[in-house]
Amino acid sequence: MTAYILKRLVDLGIVLLGMSLLVFMMIRLIPGDAVAIMLGANTEITDAGLHELRARLGLDQPILLQYWNWITNALRGDFGTSIWTGRPVATEITANLWPTLELTFLSVLVGGCLSIPLGCFMATRRGSLSEVLTRLVTITGLTIPSFWLGIVCLFLVAKYFPGVSLLGYVPFSENPIENLQKMILPVIALSLPMLANLSRLVRSAMLDALNQDYTRTAKAKGANQRRVTYKHALRNALIPFITSLGVSTGYLLGGSIVIEQVFAIPGLGRLVLGAIAERNYPLVQATILVLATGFVLVNFIVDLLYLAIDPRVREQ
Amino acid sequence: MSSSERFSITSLISQPLLTFALLLVVVQVLLALFAPWLGFQDPFQQVMVQRMKAPNALNWLGTDHLGRDVMARIVYGYRTSLLTCGIAVLVALVVGGTLGMLSAFYKGWFDRIVMRIMDVFFAFPIMLLAIGVIAIIGPGIWGASLAIAIVYIPIFARLMRGSALVICESEYVLGARAIGARDTRILFTHILPNLMSVVLVQTSLLLSAAVLVEASLSFLGLGAQPPVPSLGLALAEGRNFLLLSPWPAIFSGFAILFLAFGFNLLGDAARDKMDPRLRENQT
Amino acid sequence: MQDGITRLKTPLNCVKVAFVAMTTIASVTFAGSLQAATLEVAIDSSPAGLDPHLITAFNSVVIVQSTVYEGLTAVQQDLSIGPGLAESWTVSDDSLTYEFTLPEGTSFHDGSSLDSEDVAASLRRVQNADIASPLASRVSPITGIEVVDAQTIKLSLDEPFAAILSSLASIAIVPAEMETDKESLQQTPVGTGPFKFDSWKPNSHISLTKFDEYRVDGLPKLDGVNVNFVPESATRQVGIGGGDYHLLPGIDPATALQLEANPSVTVQQTQDVSYTLLGMNTSRAPLDNAKTRQAINMLLDRNEIIAGALFGAGVPAGPLSPALATWALDTAEYSCYQRDVEGAKALLKDAGVEDAKISILVLPRQDAKDIAQVIQQQLSDGGIEVELLNKEIGEFVQDWKNSEFDMFVSANGGSPDPDEYFYRTFRTDGSTNVFKFSDSEIDGWLDEGRQLTDPAARKAVYDQVQRKLACEGPIAHLAYGNLSTAVSDKVSGFEIYSNGRLSSLLNVTMTD
Repeated sequence: MTAYILKRLVDLGIVLLGMSLLVFMMIRLIPGDAVAIMLGANTEITDAGLHELRARLGLDQPILLQYWNWITNALRGDFGTSIWTGRPVATEITANLWPTLELTFLSVLVGGCLSIPLGCFMATRRGSLSEVLTRLVTITGLTIPSFWLGIVCLFLVAKYFPGVSLLGYVPFSENPIENLQKMILPVIALSLPMLANLSRLVRSAMLDALNQDYTRTAKAKGANQRRVTYKHALRNALIPFITSLGVSTGYLLGGSIVIEQVFAIPGLGRLVLGAIAERNYPLVQATILVLATGFVLVNFIVDLLYLAIDPRVREQ
Repeated sequence: MSSSERFSITSLISQPLLTFALLLVVVQVLLALFAPWLGFQDPFQQVMVQRMKAPNALNWLGTDHLGRDVMARIVYGYRTSLLTCGIAVLVALVVGGTLGMLSAFYKGWFDRIVMRIMDVFFAFPIMLLAIGVIAIIGPGIWGASLAIAIVYIPIFARLMRGSALVICESEYVLGARAIGARDTRILFTHILPNLMSVVLVQTSLLLSAAVLVEASLSFLGLGAQPPVPSLGLALAEGRNFLLLSPWPAIFSGFAILFLAFGFNLLGDAARDKMDPRLRENQT
Repeated sequence: MQDGITRLKTPLNCVKVAFVAMTTIASVTFAGSLQAATLEVAIDSSPAGLDPHLITAFNSVVIVQSTVYEGLTAVQQDLSIGPGLAESWTVSDDSLTYEFTLPEGTSFHDGSSLDSEDVAASLRRVQNADIASPLASRVSPITGIEVVDAQTIKLSLDEPFAAILSSLASIAIVPAEMETDKESLQQTPVGTGPFKFDSWKPNSHISLTKFDEYRVDGLPKLDGVNVNFVPESATRQVGIGGGDYHLLPGIDPATALQLEANPSVTVQQTQDVSYTLLGMNTSRAPLDNAKTRQAINMLLDRNEIIAGALFGAGVPAGPLSPALATWALDTAEYSCYQRDVEGAKALLKDAGVEDAKISILVLPRQDAKDIAQVIQQQLSDGGIEVELLNKEIGEFVQDWKNSEFDMFVSANGGSPDPDEYFYRTFRTDGSTNVFKFSDSEIDGWLDEGRQLTDPAARKAVYDQVQRKLACEGPIAHLAYGNLSTAVSDKVSGFEIYSNGRLSSLLNVTMTD
């Protein structure tokens, strides 16, 4: 078991290293002189200005040295300074971190929690018609474009509840009620596909459990059927459920890019889009690195959870 | 899975959901394929006096802000979506699938290197990686297509490797190896055919997701560019004048939904058909 | 489909209940703590920086110019020039020396007081090649900057420069110690204006607060201004209706049209000095031929462009904005503005142009993309095949700057004086003459117009310039849009300025 964890840790290290290399290469792969493009928005640029910016970004050094400097500084939490505002990139990222974390967390919470009763409910309603309906509804939930849903919700609520403040972000510590109020619509738009996915998992696990011998035995013995079923079914569903949660986090981090845009939430998604638009490459690199690292770590934790839950993995 | 489980017309009819899904997909694909010969209006023709019209006898789904027929834009938008997503998924399938299969077959250092590289790509949230790729190659339908392909390569690679590993351990592959059959022969006659069902199901599911990614990218202004008819772009443009004329946004939203829905349902129903364990649950 | 609808209904009801409950609680609990006198402004994206001498983008300008910063002179609502920080000035008879008087008791937000050394340092800062200010050309004719005493400053010119007073209005006065500092002001602006910079939350908003020691007593009336960055126009619309935002400056025509229907919002409109244009590279065939350019003008239907891409908000554009009422000619004077497909074809044939294929570089902005599509169709009527090149903003600017285009569709900010615009754009080797346009007649007129100070004589020169440029110039001016600002009914006293600045925030008050 220790060996397994060690192996996973080595894998994790390799993935993080490769990821940082990839992120680092991105800026160098942009066609043309990235520095000239970066300065492009100003009408009068000079060669001196180009050289100065190039030196400031360290782009005049050998490429391996650049990577080494970037990654060692990043490990210390220093991502350089934002090109236009001159503020430390790390500060800008932490300032935008909480809204995204909260949005992701609430969506996982809502999607995860609601999926269990919903999945159980769907499992109890069997028969061909409800089977078909269930499936159609959940697939609709999975394939509805979240930004479309977001905008439609926004207009509907604005129409029926004029004067309700829906946009932007207020820290939870400042005003918890307003914070949650502003989170309702984005969380609905983001958690719907996840809810659809997870509730189907729960449903099929429930059905599996209902068909198992031990359930029938328990039922024959007159035990509390419901309790037995739920216990087995939920244990059955746990692994695919957790895997799905892990993968969904990535989906949520990506989906939040669009949703933050629609609901004017100052999170990492908008930060990275804005940074790309204004060609703020140090900020782009750092934000992508932070988001991807978060995603990798979540999946690493999911892997470790398997270990705790499923003895079969432990044996391997 | 035995050979009797392969597709056949009779088994289709006994599966109403699968039939429905297939029908939905086929109709939309045929519309896209034959759009120029089906008598739709010119999707580029602007008629300013007819702009932002609600659905009417001349323009069944109304017109957009430049007076173009929304129905024609949507049908040609299917072409754009299916072309970009289709090519993206195909490229990902060929590249990712091959890598995954070879990894499972040869194992060892090849497997380790390839899969670590795949892990690195897989480590990025899909939209983020796609946006990063587009930052490098520039916006446009081919940029979006390549971005989706790159995002999907590790998914196919992992999937094919997982499925192929099981088959590689099976009696007949081990047997074939033992009697000294050539690698290519084993790959093409023993392993690949047995992966087809998995491939078909995943291709369909991933096409569905690709349609949504392409729409999201176009919505952010990173995908299709005007005047290309595109579902995501039509939605993105339409949202700017939702209160003046909601029709382009509503209809293109539904078009995206139907396309993604069709492929998802198809993959889903086909998976049930091929996985006896799940099928049991339905009865 | 049906499932979709039934599914939507129930959650919607739940949402309804949840909302009613929450808003009730929220309004009971927090009603007392709301700050009534902070104005919430929403614009589409965060500024790239706030240094008043380096910024050109609308997003930056709207936040700091005339709010945090003031110039020696100020542009009035009617575009005339009035006093700013300088209460008065005198001009020598030969128009070569200007002497400005500063009132006593004006202070910067950091507490230091304003004197003529600050003014001199600010002007030198803009002229300094090391600072690389895009405004440099506006003050380049100023050859002597002399501090007479603490309240008096003398500027001298080698040649008369008619546009000097309007140019000075665009030069913000900053503290003297900033003269060689390229960094500080980008993040923390320090000026003399009615509002002082408070904080910048990246990606979210910039807060400005009332400057208590403002040079005019009793002003400003607001306690503060928050400028929020909201990229989605649909979101801004919902936000101003719902009371999240009170002011949306510089909104696009479609948004303006939709907000006009909203009873709690007023849309103020004025003629915009900025305009949309079709630029042509005169160093590339067939656009190097004046006849081709004239034919293209004849193929354009500006009214259709305005109807289609600008949602009807705008007027056909000549080289100068009708907002510059004293200068601009009526577009009816330009013969090529009458759409004439046959005439255009004849001209093209004359010029030896057959089956022309031309590409248009498109500014990545919705109105420009729409305009380009309409132009594509209009030019095809004359047998010109157009390919649209949609690039990302950085590449667009780079191609534009390097003259890497056949044609481009873009939008330009205008200037209140013809010289400011014409000289840099159409003079051979002008600083923004990316078209490589060179015409000795135009060059002569532009040099002449710069030195004339008699208004009538100046006008005669610029009339000639406009007539020639309208049909044969490297720019087909398309439309002057309307500058629209949406104002919530909670706001009173706001007046729109056609240069886009929020100068009137000084007098704005808010009601509940």
